[in-house]
Formats: sequence, structure tokens, C-alpha cells
Amino acid sequence: MSAVLKNPPAARPQESPGLWMLAWRRLRQDRVGMVSLVIVVFFLLMMVASYTGLIAKDWSKERGVSYANPSFLAGAENLEAKAMAQKEAAKAPTVDLSDIDPLAPRYKEWAERAAKIAVTETKRSETLPFGGDKWGRDVLQKTIKGSEVSIFVGLTGALLAMFIGTVFGALAGYVGGRVNDFFEWFYNIFTSIPYILLILSFAAVATATGKFGKGIVPIVAILSLTGWTGIYRLMRAEYIKHVNREYVQAAKAIGASNLSRMFRHILPNVSHVALVQLSQNTVQFIKAEVILSFLGFGVPVDMVSWGTMLAEAQNELVIGKWWQLAAAGAAMAILVTAFSILTDSLRDALDPKLK
Amino acid sequence: MTAYVIRRIWQMIPTIFGVILLIFLLFNWVGGDPAQVLAGKISNPDQIANIRRQLGVDQPYWYQLWVFVKQVFTFDFGRSWSTNEEVSHILLTRVGPTLTIMVPVLVIETSLAVLLAIGVAYVRGTLKDRSIMIVCTVAMSISFLVYIIVFQWLFGFILGWFPVQGWSESFWKNLGTYAPLPIMLAVFVGLAPELRLYRSFFLDEINQDYVRTARAKGVPEKRVMMKHVLRNAMIPILTNVAIYLPGVFVGSFLLEVFFSIPGLGREVVTAVNRSDFPVIKAVTVYLAVITMVINLLVDVMYKFVDPRVSFK
Amino acid sequence: MSDNRSDPGLRRGDSAQHLLLQVQDLDVAFRVERKGEPFRAVKGISFDIGRNRTVALVGESGSGKSVSAMAILGLLPDNAIVSPQSRILYEGRDLLKASMGELQAIRGKDISVIFQEPMTSLNPVFTVGEQIAEVLRLHMGLGVRAAHARAIELLNEVGIPSPQLRVNSYPHEMSGGQQQRVMIAMAIACEPKLLIADEPTTALDVTIQKQILDLVAGLQSRHNMSVLFITHDLGVVGEIADDVVVMQNGEIQEQGTVRDIFERPQHAYTKALLACRPRLDRRPKRLPVIDDFMRGQGPVHIEERRRGTSPADAIILEVKDLTKTFFLKEGLFGKRAVPAVQQVSFRLPKGKTIGLVGESGSGKTTVGLTVMRLHEATGGQVLFEGKDLLALTEREMMAYRRRIQIIFQNPYASLNPRFTVGQILVEPMKIHGIGANEKERVEHAFHLLKRVGLPEASFYKYPHEFSGGQRQRIAIARCLTMKPDVLICDESVSALDVSVQAQVLNLLQDLQDEYKLSYIFISHDLAVVKYISDRVMVMNQGRIVEMADSDEIYRQPREEYTRKLLSSIPKGLEKAADLTE
Repeated sequence: MSAVLKNPPAARPQESPGLWMLAWRRLRQDRVGMVSLVIVVFFLLMMVASYTGLIAKDWSKERGVSYANPSFLAGAENLEAKAMAQKEAAKAPTVDLSDIDPLAPRYKEWAERAAKIAVTETKRSETLPFGGDKWGRDVLQKTIKGSEVSIFVGLTGALLAMFIGTVFGALAGYVGGRVNDFFEWFYNIFTSIPYILLILSFAAVATATGKFGKGIVPIVAILSLTGWTGIYRLMRAEYIKHVNREYVQAAKAIGASNLSRMFRHILPNVSHVALVQLSQNTVQFIKAEVILSFLGFGVPVDMVSWGTMLAEAQNELVIGKWWQLAAAGAAMAILVTAFSILTDSLRDALDPKLK
Repeated sequence: MTAYVIRRIWQMIPTIFGVILLIFLLFNWVGGDPAQVLAGKISNPDQIANIRRQLGVDQPYWYQLWVFVKQVFTFDFGRSWSTNEEVSHILLTRVGPTLTIMVPVLVIETSLAVLLAIGVAYVRGTLKDRSIMIVCTVAMSISFLVYIIVFQWLFGFILGWFPVQGWSESFWKNLGTYAPLPIMLAVFVGLAPELRLYRSFFLDEINQDYVRTARAKGVPEKRVMMKHVLRNAMIPILTNVAIYLPGVFVGSFLLEVFFSIPGLGREVVTAVNRSDFPVIKAVTVYLAVITMVINLLVDVMYKFVDPRVSFK
Repeated sequence: MSDNRSDPGLRRGDSAQHLLLQVQDLDVAFRVERKGEPFRAVKGISFDIGRNRTVALVGESGSGKSVSAMAILGLLPDNAIVSPQSRILYEGRDLLKASMGELQAIRGKDISVIFQEPMTSLNPVFTVGEQIAEVLRLHMGLGVRAAHARAIELLNEVGIPSPQLRVNSYPHEMSGGQQQRVMIAMAIACEPKLLIADEPTTALDVTIQKQILDLVAGLQSRHNMSVLFITHDLGVVGEIADDVVVMQNGEIQEQGTVRDIFERPQHAYTKALLACRPRLDRRPKRLPVIDDFMRGQGPVHIEERRRGTSPADAIILEVKDLTKTFFLKEGLFGKRAVPAVQQVSFRLPKGKTIGLVGESGSGKTTVGLTVMRLHEATGGQVLFEGKDLLALTEREMMAYRRRIQIIFQNPYASLNPRFTVGQILVEPMKIHGIGANEKERVEHAFHLLKRVGLPEASFYKYPHEFSGGQRQRIAIARCLTMKPDVLICDESVSALDVSVQAQVLNLLQDLQDEYKLSYIFISHDLAVVKYISDRVMVMNQGRIVEMADSDEIYRQPREEYTRKLLSSIPKGLEKAADLTE
């Protein structure tokens, strides 16, 4: 017999590296990629903490004076705050109306009763860690909360889009024929309309009627319903490529079912493409959400996101208040940069050529 | 080739119908009764009744669809729900300013991106290459909004080189005074992603076998880049430009909003704010058609760019 | 053919006048990962190329032969590290230390290259004429029109019909053989002194290969060129080379004239290479493998195996008038019919092998896939135990699926990269209900791994950890899990190195002997087919041209196409064998 190798006495299950383990090892060696990963994980943790209320719970409380200065600029002039204070002071005219006021005798009684109830009236502070916005809300807390909203919207939108695009792409690529024709027709409709127009159309209907849901549901729906086309294209191409590969033919030869071939055999071989695309879509959707929220079609007014912060920041810059712009802009820039670099590193680490 | 063009046009028909169907479903079915949509926005009940009658809201859906199809083909969408201006008039007058901005942007940005990409690909792997790529990555992660706000503030407000906003009636005045800042902004922001993309195109080509053959023939490296690689890289570059071409008509709506440019993009944003459905529907459907036509033209043009393409 | 073969000729140490190029202590390593050890591809080799001589650089994949050749002209990739002691001497200069300008002046003019894949080696957006003219204008200073005219002449010289028309064609409009001729035209345009040919015929059909080899040989004698011919095929070496350099794992194992190497091979590896390849004139019971030689056992004279069929054989599979037509979209609404397989009929006797031979496009692979119902046939019957498999529904087919199995050509693509070997082996058992429980199935898998010569620990590993030959064994094991009756080998050994090929062929033969399997062996490699088959079918353009027992068909081919095919096989090994006996 043409045996080449001797058999070991007993077969021990060994740690054999699969694709993900290999990719992880490769990623670990990529220093820049690891740093980006850490940053992204940090933002994700911050998002969870913010969501559960651990931090930034009171972002909407007006703790500071109007346009409070950041702590590192404590001594600077705050004309607006002074103007507000003066306005408040000027509001109460001291006119004694006790002779015509029927309630006048009761005031003293009520004042005494009110004094008994301890009410904590928070005094508005002059400075906040990263400054305050027009209503004195803490910019730092807003930024954290805004991160939560923007990232959550981006991530869920991307996950949904990935799901839709993968299922459509798998069906179109694997089954082919009329099924493929249908999905291609569907895809062509969505891609003939310029992306911005498509989003704005959905946004128009969403804001005009309430039919897409409340809160952040509309914007997540809009982003995922319009953004699945990219991943569809990729997954369809991958499935077409793999359907004719010999290992799939072999699976057919041994009698594996269609469903098995589509999802047990092919999907693990193309999931890395989906992962990279998910990462890219998240970035794209975060950017889109910011712009939409800026225009007023994104998250509702009672929530904060980077987009709403930038909307406010537009007018603040002219009067010299730059901290909201800087905070939102910088937070977003850091996350998006880290995510983009992570996407590239992921792609390199998952490089299938090494198989 | 005529057979190819005819076949493509034939294939476009189901897609156009699909677009009409999608827009119809979205605006007429999900969007629903204009009375509810416009409640609170238009106070005149007669106006609302008029609109409802025009659209045939009380009729069955297939009748409404037929109304819509008629509108598309006769280029008559009636009047804007908010300004009462004729929708077709709106479309025609707003395209001009948009193109005044976008065409220069497209030309300048593409040329700059190609030149820079060649340069970066030539010095690939060096520190110069990597630092430029890092700068691009960071630049791409700052929101367009931030750029606009800062640029407007810096160049318009502080330095006063350009007017912060505005538009005029004269084409040349627009081009010379009002357009430069938005154009500069768009080019600056768009350059980073394009540079990265084009660089990857060039690098893909450099790793091909035919480049090795050219070197084996003794062709100097510069000529390899400028003749062999560039010619091949133009194919994906042109594909990329073709994808952006339809977007030229919509324009950058953010720029138009910020700089008060009366273009198509701003028109759409305003329409969304005011739930002015006819305007949005019209713009969407016509731009979809324009996109399909542009795609067809580009595919035909491919034959001259890539000799491997044959029409079947 | 060059006359220098009988020349007692050039040995190392002859005066430098006879030597065109000298490679000394060439050491090339590749930086693979940032921190890891660089991979040494070429470990300090030295050889010479004489004037007007054809030197064959022979080795299997990974031997370092291409790397050595590319180093001559500085065409190595960016991550290559050449050791400073290495020298490549040409006309008194060390090419490794030459400036880029000097190298560019030599490339294409004094020394030129032709590559293995002509389709990708030609620039797709320029015409063939433009690409040939480029090298003429660069080095010979010809003007546009003169270069164009000369290009037409060159196309004529390399045998392209209607050169004045073809000069304006694009590469993709030509066949593989024609593209390679264009590459050759480009390479000889400036009358180089040395032509480096990197596996130029490996990707071509055997009949085209013969034409290209004849062309190169003719050009060599006419233009007084030296040729450095890189190949893995000793048959080719025997036909065209004067001197031979044998490489393995980055080292030279042996070098000398072709006569020396073939008559008196010294090194075990050389002996093994010469012996492993199935020959046309004999058929040992087992093919010798490299290990036999490396362990010091010489080629034992093994008894021959008789092959052939008789009318009394029990028939296990009968194919009748099998037809498969592909439909492609064309024109406005029309479809074009491409007949891939037309009216193919044959009978497979139990326990025997039918070889199916043909060039690319002959339809042989399609026959195999259609019998398995991996493609749906357009017409015909496949009778297995009396039932027509093509008429069964998918559900009915399931019962028969395990009885006919297939081993594909590409060992790198036929195993799911995300499955462990264990999963690959157990899956078919689960589907067909073989084995009462998981434990039994795993036991069976272990047993089969041993049978195909792999360690049990392979069960837990992933395909990418194995070599090509080992992966084919896993594929074979996968088929065996279902205890099939018929095995279709679709170019199953074509992608393997010669030594590994021999091992897998031996394994297949052992399995046939033990389990009485019946094989349909599909290949373009005539020598392999003759070795392993009892009966041979020759296919051309979808039809069976000739069918006969294997010895008979090679001895007395009746059809012209068969004769043409047989005459194209490089007979280097047989000629060498004649020399030794």
C-alpha cells in the first residue's frame, strides 16, 4: 500500500484553527487594527452603559446656565448667560396689587406652607465639564447619550439591512432563474433612484404619517429598507461564485439538500464578506443618521443624537460657542475613523486567499 | 449594437414600472389621504378638497395608479401642495443651479483624484503613501456637516472671502461669486474617499500579470504607470464616475440648504419638510429614469473603453 | 531540433566564451509576515547557460525554478530578498547589482521572457500589434509605421495566419495557443540572446503544446538563441533540452546534459522523477514513488499488469446516447445552442476502468457531471442495475447517489474550507444513514483515513492544513464512506505533482483491487489514461471519436484525431528509456 505516514498510537482531539481563529490571530498582529477594535468596543460599552442609565441619565436636565462655558474655560465671558439672567430678573415687576387682588390675603399663608416643604432647587452652575448648550444642558452628557442613539441606530439598521440583503442575495444567487430575475428587478428599482432621494422619500412619508412607528423605529426602518442593496449585490455574487465550486457539487453528489447546501455549506464560506459589509454599513448609516437628524427627519426631538447636536451647533459657532460642535464632531470622527480602520483590518485578517 | 440598445430599452420598461409602483405604494398607499397628511399645514379646505379630487383619493387604487402613470408620461404633476407652483416648472427651474455647482465639482474632483491616486500608487508602501491614507481615513470620518459649518464660518464669516449664502440670476455671477465656496467644499470633502478608491484600482492593476510582461520588455516604470496601468484603471474609474453621474442632478442637498442655493436638492428637502408629495414623487420618478438612461449610455460607451466588452 | 545533443558538449568549467549567463550562489527569500522568518525559496544554487543551448530547469511546484528564472531579470515581487553573495553574470556584468536603467536596456532586448498564462500576460486594452511594436520602438528605435510592419512580419514568423488582419486584434479575441505565439513574437522581436520560457505550455492542450515546442525549437536554431526552459514535465525535457538542471525545495539536486541525466541519473530524486511518470510503453503493477528512491531502494523491476475488457464482463453502468446542450442568450431574444455532449454511449464493466480522453472543450468533464446528474442531461439514458438514473425524481435518485461518486480535479476547491475533515467524512454517512450512531460513524471515518494513508489526527484538522495530494485522499475517503460501486475521477490527478500523482494512482488502483470498484477515469493526460484504463474512449467536440481497449488504441489508432493526439505526446521519457536499455 502506498502509505506515506505512520499513524500515531491514539488520536487526540487537537486545537485546530478554523477560519475565525486564524483571522483573530492575524488581527492580533495588526497593531493599528487592535487599537481601532479597542476604541470601537469602548464606544459600544459606553452605549450599553448609557442605555441602562449608568451614565448620562440626566442629559436633558438644564443644569448649567445658558451656554455655560466648559470647565477649562471657566473664566471666560458668558454674555448670553448674563443676558438671560437679566431677562429673568427683569421679568418680575414689583407692583403691589394687594388691594385689588382677591387672593392677596392668602399669599402669606401659602408662602409659609411652601417654605415648610423642602424643595431642592438646583442652582444653575456657571461651568460644565465640556460646556453647555443654549438651554444649559451638559454637552458631555449629551455627547454620550448622542453616541448611544447614533451608534444604536447605525448598528441595528446595518444588522437589519444585512439580514435582508443576505437572504435576498442567497436566494437570487443560489436558485437563479426566475427567482433571480425577480430580485434583480427589485434591486434595479431601488438602485435607479438616487440613494438620497430614496431616503428622503421614505422620510417624507414617515414624518408625514406616523405609519413607520415611533421614536427611533422610523429611522432604523428607513435606513435598512434603503440600504440593503449593497450587501445584496455582494452576497449574490458570492453565492453565484460558490454554487459552482466543487465542494458544493460534492455536497450535491453526496445527497445534501438545497437548504443544507445554501446555509450549512456555502454561508460559512461567505459570512466574512457579510461581516466586513456590516461594518461598512454601520459607518455609512451612522453618517446618514447624523445628516437626517440634522435636517429634522431622524430621531425625534425629545431625543439627542450627534445630528441634533450639530444642528444646534450651526448657529452657535457664529456667537463663538464652539464646544458642542467640537464634542459631537470629535466623538463622531473618532468612532468613524476607528470603525473604518477596523473594517479594513477585518478584511485583511479574513483574507480568504490564505486558504 | 442597435439590437443591444433595443434590448436594454426593452428591459428598462419593467424597472420604470417598478419604480412608479414603488413610489405609488409609498406615497399613495402608505402615505394615504392627503387630508390627513396636510392637516395643519394647509388651512384652506377647498384646496385640500381639490387635491383629493385630482388624485382620485376616493376612487379604487388602480384608478389612482392610472392617474399617477398619466402624470408621469404627460409630465404634469399638477401643483405643489404648499406653494401652488406648477411642479414641472419647479423641476425645470431648479435643475440649473444644481448643475452649476455639481458639474464643476465632478470634473475637478475626478481629475484631482486620478492625478493624486497615480502619484500615491507610484510611491506605494512608503511613509508618504501610508500617511496620506491615514489623513484620508480621518478626513472621511468627520461629518460633512462639520465641514460645511466650519468652512462657512471660516471662509465666509471670518475671512470674508466668499459670501456666506446667496444666489443670483446671472450665470456668470453665480459661477464666480456664489459657487466657488460650495464647489471648493464639495471637492475637498469628496476627494478623500475617491482618492482611496482610485488608489485601490491602481494597485489592483499594478499586481496584474501584464504589468510584469511590460517590465520584462524593458518598459521604464513611469511609462508602465502612465500608459499600461492608467489605461486599464480607467475602466473601473469610469464605472465609478458613471455611478455618481445621476447624483449630479440631485446635487448635494446639504450644500444647497446651507448656502441657500435654489437647486433641486434643497427643493426636495423643503418638500419633505412640508409633506409636499407631488414634488418629491416627480423628482424621484424622473431621476430614476435619468439614472437608467445614463446607465445605458455608459454601458454603450464601455465598448470604446474596454475592448473585451461585447454586445450580446 | 538542436544538433548539439550529441555534442559531448558543455560541462561546467568550460571557458567562459561558451557561456552566455552564469548564475552563482543564487539565494532568494521572501518576507511573508512582518515579524516571521523569511521563507527561503532558493537556497544558494549555481548553474550556467551556454550559448545556443537549451537549458531545462526542472522541478515540481515549490522547487524554486520560477523564482530563479525571474531573478535573472530582476522581476521578483517587492517582498523578495536576494542575498548579497548571489551573482548573475552576463557579459561581464552582475545583473543583480545592475541599475534599473541597465536592466531595462537588457530586458526585452538581450534577454526576454514568456510566461505561463498568455491570456493575463498580455495587456487586454491594447492590440496585439501595439504590444509587439512597443518593444520594437523601445529598443530598436523604429518609428510607428516601421514597427507596425515588422510586427506583421513577426506574427507571420510565429505562425499566426492572416497576420495583417490579426495585428489589430485584441488578446481576448485569440485562442490560448495564438496568444502564446504573440508572446513569443514579442519576445524574439529584438533578437535576444536568451529566451526565458516559464512553463509556457503547461496551460495549453497537448496538440497545441507540440506546436509551440516546435516553434521555440525552430526559432532557437534560426536565431542562434539560448533558451532557459522551465517545466515540470520530463517528457518535454527529453524532447527539447540540451542541458538539464533538476531542482527540489530550492536546491539543485543534479545537473548535466540531457543524456547524462536520462542515461545515468545520480540523485535519488532525479531517478524518482524519471520513474514515477506513467509511460506509454509499459505498465507496471505499481508506479514507483519518490519515497522508494529516497529510501535507497532502486527501481525494482515490477511485473506488468494486463488490462483489457472482454465481452463476457458483467456490465455495471451503461450509458446510451447521452446528450447535453447548453443554451446561451444571443441576439435580441434568441438563444444559441452549444452542444457539449452528443450521443455518447459506452458500457462500464464491473471492476474495470474506462478512460475518457480529450482536449479542453471535448465534453469529457460534462459526460461525468451529467452521469452523476450534477448537470441535467438533455437526452439519453444512464442505466444502472437496469434503472435509468436520468428518469428518476430527485427523491428516487437519493437511493442511488451513494452508489456513484465523483472525485473532482481541484483538490483545493472540492473540500469545504469551513468543515473539519471529520465533518466532511461524517456528513455523507449521516445523509445516507450509514452507521447506527455517531460513534460508529467516527470509527468508520478513522478507519478510512488510515486506508487512504492519512493519520487519524487528520479528523480534527481543516483542509487548508493539507497538501494537494493529501486533500485528494480526503476526497477519496469521503467517497468511500458511502461504499460506492462506481467512481468517476474527473481529472483527479491532473493538478498534482508527478510524484504525488503516482501515489494517488497507486491508491486508486489498490482500492479498485480491494473493493472491486469500477472507474470512469477522465483526463487529458494520455499517458496516465493508458496506465490506469482497461478501455479508452477518445472524445472530440462532444462526440466519441474512437473507443477500444487501451493497449489496442495506442498501438493501432484508427481515427486521424486519435493519431494526432498520440503523436503530440512528448516522448522524451521513452527516448530516454531507449537510451538506457
